[in-house]
Amino acid sequence: MPDHQHYNTLLVLLSYLISVLGSFAALQWAVVIPLAKTPRQRTAAVLAAGAAMGVGAIWAMHFIAMLACDMGMPVTYDPVLTALSAIIAFGACSLGLFIASSGAFSWAKLAAAGICMGLGVTGMHYLGMAAMMMAAYSTYDMNLVATSLLIAIVASIVALWLAFHLRGRVQMIGSALVMGLAVCGMHYTGMAAFDIDENGAQLPAGFAHGMRGDHLGVTIFVVSVALLATALVVHYKRQQRRAAITI
Amino acid sequence: MIELEIQILSHRREGLLVELGRAVAAGGFALLRQRVYQDEQGAWLVMVVRGEPEKQLGLEEVLATHDRVLSFEATLLAPGAVTQAAMSPASRAADVAASGSAPASIRHVGPDVHKVESMLPQLARDYPKIFPWLLALEHEVAAEAREASLLLAGRRTGIWVFKRDYEAGGKLGLADAIKRIAAPALRLLVAIDVRERHFHIQDCPLCPPGGHSGCKFFSGYLEGMLGASSAPQGVLVRNLHCRSNNGQGDCLLEVLH
Repeated sequence: MPDHQHYNTLLVLLSYLISVLGSFAALQWAVVIPLAKTPRQRTAAVLAAGAAMGVGAIWAMHFIAMLACDMGMPVTYDPVLTALSAIIAFGACSLGLFIASSGAFSWAKLAAAGICMGLGVTGMHYLGMAAMMMAAYSTYDMNLVATSLLIAIVASIVALWLAFHLRGRVQMIGSALVMGLAVCGMHYTGMAAFDIDENGAQLPAGFAHGMRGDHLGVTIFVVSVALLATALVVHYKRQQRRAAITI
Repeated sequence: MIELEIQILSHRREGLLVELGRAVAAGGFALLRQRVYQDEQGAWLVMVVRGEPEKQLGLEEVLATHDRVLSFEATLLAPGAVTQAAMSPASRAADVAASGSAPASIRHVGPDVHKVESMLPQLARDYPKIFPWLLALEHEVAAEAREASLLLAGRRTGIWVFKRDYEAGGKLGLADAIKRIAAPALRLLVAIDVRERHFHIQDCPLCPPGGHSGCKFFSGYLEGMLGASSAPQGVLVRNLHCRSNNGQGDCLLEVLH
């Protein structure tokens, strides 16, 4: 990690935990997309899974990880770019899950879906980084940026393969753990690519109106509780549905 | 292409042609001619159908387990043959009387749907410890309905287990469905060894040496499960050998589609 970044280990672990929880909640929806009987049911399941993955597993993880990182100077976030980063993650994940869940399994479909998800993770991260406002110039090591993109795509493909190709416990838990690795692996590699040079205490315009860490903390808490509730409700409903299936 | 004449006996006439016409179409055959009539035994449907020879066995399996079919006979037609479907009921009756072969010519008897239906809820309740129920079913149904009843019970169980435990996820190809779904599901019931499309069932409790074969239950189980789970529909499972009559320790089933 660059010298200017110092991490709170507990929050780093929490960032992985939230990405796994978000992925697990998303997969609860995603694996039933192929069972939808109407286009409306299918759209609802895709959007629910995309929201849990994009906003929960990726966006919330990113900002917990940013809270875990001490840059050595005050940082705020541009609200518009921050919101846009969440929308990108949501849209890309919805598209990826839609592709992965449609029709019969094929490697081409899996690759296309993994690329969508990987681009969603990466796009969210770098747009989220662009939303940072501080008294410094930022630069990137492009080799590590490319590596972060590759990690996101490959791990997303593995996670989707587990989710749609396997059955049983490995299907959901294994996929959520791997998807958590995809998101965190991409994020922390992206952070290793990130460097800053102080600009002589010249704060950017809008710095004072940017979102601060405590605002993000509340938002992330709400997202996390929503994810947990979603995972529990969907699991409970599924158990009820299983019990109601007659032979 | 082959042409088959299928004579089906059913309880009642209403909707018979529509339901079995659908079954024939689903089995990959085209309906060429048909005749429906009633006699003292019940409603008869005589159909002449055309399709690929390799699909004949599958069609016969579908008819054998159809709940409208009490019994049926399928005859391969020679080109230009005069068929029962083209004959009037009176001439058919005369033909039957002359040959005296109507009851003896029934090759396939359908399942005892009532007994299977009444056993299935118990089977679901005790799953996977289901063999006592299946052995009881074997003894309760008539000997000629035993295999079809086991096949029906297997199909219903296979579809149910798939919907309950394996439905969530992507649609798989047959090879993956065997590996990811059918094999782990069947391992809950019996010890098996799976090699590509062959299931070796070891020490099958439904197939005691020298006794009846219960392999039809596992054929139906795999057909129901794989038919519901894999991308190519119309899976057929055939029994290559059985512990009950070959003296070996295992039964061998082959998955076809």
